[in-house]
Amino acid sequence: MDATLISIGLDPLTAKITSMVIISVIVLLAFVTIGGILTLVERRISGFMQSRLGPNRVGPQGALQWVADGVKLILKEDLIPEGADRKLFRIAPYFCLVGIFGTMVVFPWGKGVIVADLNVGLFYFISITALVVFGVLMAGWSSNNKWSLLGGMRAAAQIVSYEIPVGMSLLVPILISGTLSMGGIMASQGWLPWEWMVFKSPFAVLSFIIFFIGSLAEANRTPFDLPEAESELVSGYCTEYSGFRYAVFFLSEWANLFVLGGLTTSVFLGGGNLPGALEGFTILSVLVYLAKVAVVIFVVIWLRWTLPRFRIDQLMSLSWKYLLPGAFIAFLGQAAYMLLTQHTPIVQSIIAVLMFLVFVFVLIRFGLKVRVSINEQRIPVNSPASNVS
Amino acid sequence: MGAYFQNIKDGFTTAFEGMSISFATMFVRKETVQYPEVDISSNATIAEKYKGSLMGMPENYRGILDVDLSLCTACQICQKACPIDCIVIDNIKCDKTKLSDGDGSPVLNRFTQKEALKTRTVTRFDINAAKCMYCGLCEKACPTSAIRHTNQFEMNRESQEELILRFVSDDVKATAEKRASEIEAEAAAKKAAKAKKAQEEKAKEKGAEE
Repeated sequence: MDATLISIGLDPLTAKITSMVIISVIVLLAFVTIGGILTLVERRISGFMQSRLGPNRVGPQGALQWVADGVKLILKEDLIPEGADRKLFRIAPYFCLVGIFGTMVVFPWGKGVIVADLNVGLFYFISITALVVFGVLMAGWSSNNKWSLLGGMRAAAQIVSYEIPVGMSLLVPILISGTLSMGGIMASQGWLPWEWMVFKSPFAVLSFIIFFIGSLAEANRTPFDLPEAESELVSGYCTEYSGFRYAVFFLSEWANLFVLGGLTTSVFLGGGNLPGALEGFTILSVLVYLAKVAVVIFVVIWLRWTLPRFRIDQLMSLSWKYLLPGAFIAFLGQAAYMLLTQHTPIVQSIIAVLMFLVFVFVLIRFGLKVRVSINEQRIPVNSPASNVS
Repeated sequence: MGAYFQNIKDGFTTAFEGMSISFATMFVRKETVQYPEVDISSNATIAEKYKGSLMGMPENYRGILDVDLSLCTACQICQKACPIDCIVIDNIKCDKTKLSDGDGSPVLNRFTQKEALKTRTVTRFDINAAKCMYCGLCEKACPTSAIRHTNQFEMNRESQEELILRFVSDDVKATAEKRASEIEAEAAAKKAAKAKKAQEEKAKEKGAEE
């Protein structure tokens, strides 16, 4: 892009800055759109899971609902409660926004489609998302509201606790690929399922599970949505927010969902890798990547509408008693595994295929269970057959 | 230590179970009734497709008022009973008839237990459903149970004007008015004939006296 701008007569510095601005605007707009659409997707899916239809009035099948919601939120009055710390109150949502949008820098949309392939990409990813804690804590503190404060405190405690198992479990892919750069981690995986990071070893599976649970908690998703537990804390740290500032919180929350899916995909699920014959089709690579992200996002939404919320002590004990030891085991186990199978890559591949077969077996079991559930749910409530079970 | 691993196992198996149920629900028919498109005036139309328990409104539910004009004697008791004057009745004379229900048996006045007699008919019977507060006093007062609450509650209309329920159509009104004028003319003719007869008799008597 720089080259194009220089060729039309701009000096190198201006060209650099201009291209940076253009790219950031594109990324920002893409992110806003994704965040908006995800709110709709979540509402539709939650509707389906509760035998409802969800919003389907604005546009075809409700496709424009998120635009209507956004416009409504922007048009609303921006209230600042009495006694609030006005400066902090105003700035807090943008911390959340920056924390999430900052990840865009190292977001690998596909093979070679990355804004900056930092050699500490994964590290940057983890540290920039930690900025969200500041935003949440600021919002909770500055609102001058006990619910907000409790929500903010809980969020801080939760994110700090879960950052440790998440970081520990990410060490396993780093061990396997030998790099911290997002592009490098993606390149160390293949396009076949058993070439993905998840199935590389039993410890990789363990680390994937821990990472997934931990990042759910970091993204404040149910069953870990204690910071804004509606039944206890009204709306947690964003209780006092309205209008555009609330929209910013909202957007960063759903963009976070996308970031979660993106990180999971690129680190564990093979990213946008294509078969050798199709190498070089960047758009196809991006599509593959987005498809995988969509599946992960679906699983996250699905979990949200299935599992009930944890209690705060259960949340803490899950992190410190279960996930953290598990992450240690995964890390040390992976190191030992790599030492043992260092010179026999064939064993590694066999174990990878085996892991994949186990996954397929679990999937089939699950499919059978779903079929049983569908047949059960088809029985009308008042029919005699429904009283049997 | 056993409990620790049991917890982990339970965590996975219960999540597995729960997720299979919520995933299955996505493929089962949705229960939402899309109201303006679907006619909800009768449970029958919904019940065809409805999976769950559909009780509907109870028998004594006070829904929108309905009038059975074949039972109405145009007595205007309901109009007087209405505390917010949402019923308007105009009536005129009609042929003297005894009311009978569908199978021919006579309709009794609920209070006097005498056969209900219809001497007047309505030319206007309007109920303003926007004003009606569904108190049921008109239903209680009606001697022939002509006015009663249905168990309908769906009454969304575009304007207030459409919320006024008109039970007497213009045609019926016109025929009733025509008949009333005929009756009046007949009555006048009868009266005139009677007067003439009386006069003649008087004249006769006078003549006899003379």
